[in-house]
Amino acid sequence: MTNGRTDDRKAQRHSRRGEGRIVVLLDGSPMSYAALRAAANIAAQTGAEVLGVFVEEMNLLRSAGFSFSREVGSASGISRTLDTARVERRLQRLADHARQALAKAMEGRGGHHALSITRGRVIEEVLALAGPEDLLVLGRVGWSSAPGARLGSTARGLVQRSPGRVLLWCEQNVPARDRIVVFLNDHPEANERALTAAAEASRRYRQAVTALLCPGSSVSQEQLSDFSRDLEVMGGGIRLRVLPACDPATIAQTVRQEHASHLVISRGCVLFQKPGADQLLVVLDLPVTVTP
Amino acid sequence: MKGTAALTEEQVYRRCPLGQLDFETTDSLEDLELPCGQARVLRALEFGANMQAEGFNLFVLGPSGAGKQEFVERFLARHTETQPVPPDWCHVFNFQFSDRPRAIRLPAGEGRQFKDDMVDLAAELRTAIPATFESEEYQARLQELQEEMAKRQHQGLFDIQEEANRNNIAMITTPAGFTFAPMRNGEVIDPEEYKAFSEEEKELVESKVDELQKKLQLTIQQIPRLRKEVRERVHALNEEMVQLTLGGPIGELRAKWSHLQGVVDYLDAVREDVVEHAEMFQDVENGVPGGLMGRYRVNLITDNAETVGAPVIYEDLPNHQHLVGQIEHRARQGTLYTDFTLIRGGSVHRANGGFLIIDARRVLSQPMAWESLKRILFSGEIRIESLERLYGLVSTVSLQPEPIPVSVKVVLLGDRLLYYLLSHYDPDFLDLFKVEADFEDDLDRDEECYTLYARMIATMTRHLKSRPLDRAAVARLIEHASRLASDQRKLTAHDRVLRDLLSEADHWADQGSSGVIGAGHIQQAIDEREYRASRIRQRSREQVGRGIVIIATSGEVVGQVNGLSVLSLGASMFGQPTRITATARPGKGQVVDIEREAKLGGPIHSKAVMILSRFLASRYAGEGDLSLSASLAFEQSYGGVEGDSASVAETCVLLSAISGVPLKQGFAVTGSMNQLGEVQAVGGVNEKIEGFYDVCRQAGEVRNQGVLLPASNVEHLMLNEAVRKSVAVGDFSLYPISGIDQAIEMLTGMEAGEADAAGCFPEGSFNRAVADRLGKFAEISKKRDDNDAGEDKSGDKRED
Repeated sequence: MTNGRTDDRKAQRHSRRGEGRIVVLLDGSPMSYAALRAAANIAAQTGAEVLGVFVEEMNLLRSAGFSFSREVGSASGISRTLDTARVERRLQRLADHARQALAKAMEGRGGHHALSITRGRVIEEVLALAGPEDLLVLGRVGWSSAPGARLGSTARGLVQRSPGRVLLWCEQNVPARDRIVVFLNDHPEANERALTAAAEASRRYRQAVTALLCPGSSVSQEQLSDFSRDLEVMGGGIRLRVLPACDPATIAQTVRQEHASHLVISRGCVLFQKPGADQLLVVLDLPVTVTP
Repeated sequence: MKGTAALTEEQVYRRCPLGQLDFETTDSLEDLELPCGQARVLRALEFGANMQAEGFNLFVLGPSGAGKQEFVERFLARHTETQPVPPDWCHVFNFQFSDRPRAIRLPAGEGRQFKDDMVDLAAELRTAIPATFESEEYQARLQELQEEMAKRQHQGLFDIQEEANRNNIAMITTPAGFTFAPMRNGEVIDPEEYKAFSEEEKELVESKVDELQKKLQLTIQQIPRLRKEVRERVHALNEEMVQLTLGGPIGELRAKWSHLQGVVDYLDAVREDVVEHAEMFQDVENGVPGGLMGRYRVNLITDNAETVGAPVIYEDLPNHQHLVGQIEHRARQGTLYTDFTLIRGGSVHRANGGFLIIDARRVLSQPMAWESLKRILFSGEIRIESLERLYGLVSTVSLQPEPIPVSVKVVLLGDRLLYYLLSHYDPDFLDLFKVEADFEDDLDRDEECYTLYARMIATMTRHLKSRPLDRAAVARLIEHASRLASDQRKLTAHDRVLRDLLSEADHWADQGSSGVIGAGHIQQAIDEREYRASRIRQRSREQVGRGIVIIATSGEVVGQVNGLSVLSLGASMFGQPTRITATARPGKGQVVDIEREAKLGGPIHSKAVMILSRFLASRYAGEGDLSLSASLAFEQSYGGVEGDSASVAETCVLLSAISGVPLKQGFAVTGSMNQLGEVQAVGGVNEKIEGFYDVCRQAGEVRNQGVLLPASNVEHLMLNEAVRKSVAVGDFSLYPISGIDQAIEMLTGMEAGEADAAGCFPEGSFNRAVADRLGKFAEISKKRDDNDAGEDKSGDKRED
């Protein structure tokens, strides 16, 4: 178990390569701890190693170093002076919390876990640690997000740039959702990756799968049959729905109609190529797995 | 005055003429709707029932067992069947003040319908409203709303961030808020590097940072207002959706109940309440809270759906709760709680618009019940309050249901004493119970009454499901009814006694395997009843027979006579003779009543002795002094003496003691006497005569014995068969007397003698003997007085 500051990022990045770790981003926000619990659950089922990442953001540390630095409270709007020492203390405390939370989440589950504390820019630091086989788990928003935000800037950046699978976690308030929805497109390989992720989620949560198709797009029958067969072996099944349109609002509506508990979507999907496509992630309040 | 004739058998018992009874058995007689001979009470009931003004409630007074309740119920059942059925009343939740449930009035029978409608509505709300919240439309609108509001929240921050970026200033988020710092190429400038900036550059950056901070502060401070706006708009959306969902079912109910403004107002209040609590219907997991749905229930307090005519309610336990209703509590996890559905109506609610029959004694014996009843009648409304609250024993928050207007006639049943006591001591009583319905104890026994009385008996037998009576049995029962009334010209109206007798006769008929009740069965029932109650009487007779109580029934004795008294024990009465003795000697005109001196005599008895004392003085002393010191005593009497029925006997025995003339002990005497020596009627003559007859029979053969009784009591005689037989053969004689001299002559065998104009009685007469003896007493007294005066004078001299 590693719980000190990690210096040799490369070594970490390539340790156990090929097995796939679960890299969970911890920033001390409630959502990040929820993501940690989800990651621990997945690890308990897959036996994967869990690597917690806590990044001390350089921009934040620097911004506290000016003579005029002040902090405006996100809830009260009250302005207070800010200095580097205070920010350091705060980050230290958050890191300690993150360590304790990780240990507690993994308690009794038996898997390996470690916490990496780095200093720099969050996205770069995470990308430096996570490889293509790793599952990156993070909360949809961190503490640093603006009030009411539903998708943080870090999440946006990692969804776009992560080499592997990303699970954007959020706590669901609405129960009685019981389907995994996977969004497919014209890219067979991307579809395969998405279907694999959906099958894993289906197994994990013991839920049936709905596959959504954009109008005009096609998926090879063979691929679907294989997938369906896999699911039936597990006692599930697949339902195919062709969407009337391929805009974020239509997809979101269909996802709701399906009572989806989880959405799987490929980064290679045309939707992600369009500007403002991440709006879909904004409007859905359910965990989303973004596959390469 | 000699030759007072003894009464004949016909005079001592009035038979029922069988010819008046024109039927074989009572089966052939029609029912009598109401008992006969109660015209006064019937008129009072009719008046009271029809009288609309306030305070004309009824008090039906009569002895217990007179059948008041059944009579009143039968009368009211007939009276109310054509009257309108009163409305239903229900309590519903008060959405404005939850501790004051509202009352709604509905036409009879519609209460149930309203209750069912509200149950259906609640069921519909339970499913339709959650369905609305789960609908795509609602979810989409809610999402749009939330997004719009989130966007507005974001926009302010985004604009500031944009402005900062344009000025090469980074807006950095911290765990607790935001800070601004100069940047270059998306990176915050190192503070050390910043120090190298020119003063102008620094000033520019810092002023911009300051400006942005202020803007940010303003924007953040707007967020609570935006959040509140979100809540309000979500609530408005919920309201709108619920309004649309409710429109159908509540609209239908409003149309259905449009004729009742109270119901329409309530339905509007329900709609507003549902809308206000729309969010509570969204809990898909746990369903709609039961407490919320319970508010839409209807508590039907008065249900007249099956009532025919105006209601007639008899409350057999008229306590406060049963009369005015109560608010019950339910225990939940050790806590008592209540709501409007636990309000229970009382008998006044049920009788509202009709009649409430209550036993007066019972209502008076229940705490606060009488006061509560009066308060309802005064105020004209029922206010349900618990007894503990009335007494101020609890101060916890409870319900105060809206009072229900009440229009009820209360019919109190009670005995006469209670009525007179209430009239005297309760100042409210006569304001509230203005109609007095007084039950007759007895009916007139005339030619017309026989058929009616027979029909009344027939009705009773049918109610009792007993065998029919044959003609002779009815006749015997009528004769017994006269005996019970102690009057040849009356018949008892006492319902319970007749019913009991019929039931018992039916039992004896059953024992005798007879299909009808005959005269023998009636007689057996009478005899058996008498036997069951005869223990004390027999013990008393035994004591006389064994000489423990000394009664002479033959011979002649001076200063001793047989008086007659009646003992009343429970439901039975019996007569027994008592020896009365007198002594006389010279004195100062006083008659000592030993009973009174020993404090065993009651005031009426004392009065009678004073009357006889004055009678003696006026008849025998004339204008002179009555020089007499006499005493009177009831021998072997230890339980007190009351009444004046022995005053004739006392006069006779005193005169015997004065004159020394013996009195015949074969006679017993009863009757009261006035100051003129006239004999007046007394009570219980039948029992007294039968009592003396039994003692005579026990002493040996009955021969030449009898009773002297007031002539005015003759028509009260209904003597038993044994006495009648002796009277018929002349062994036992009954002599009606109207003056004291008649009694004297019968008892002494001497002529009484009438005073002449000078006040002198004829020589050899009884009165002359009395007057002479009193004259001697006067002389003796005068001599004694003279001697005493002489002694006093010499004594005085010696002292000088």
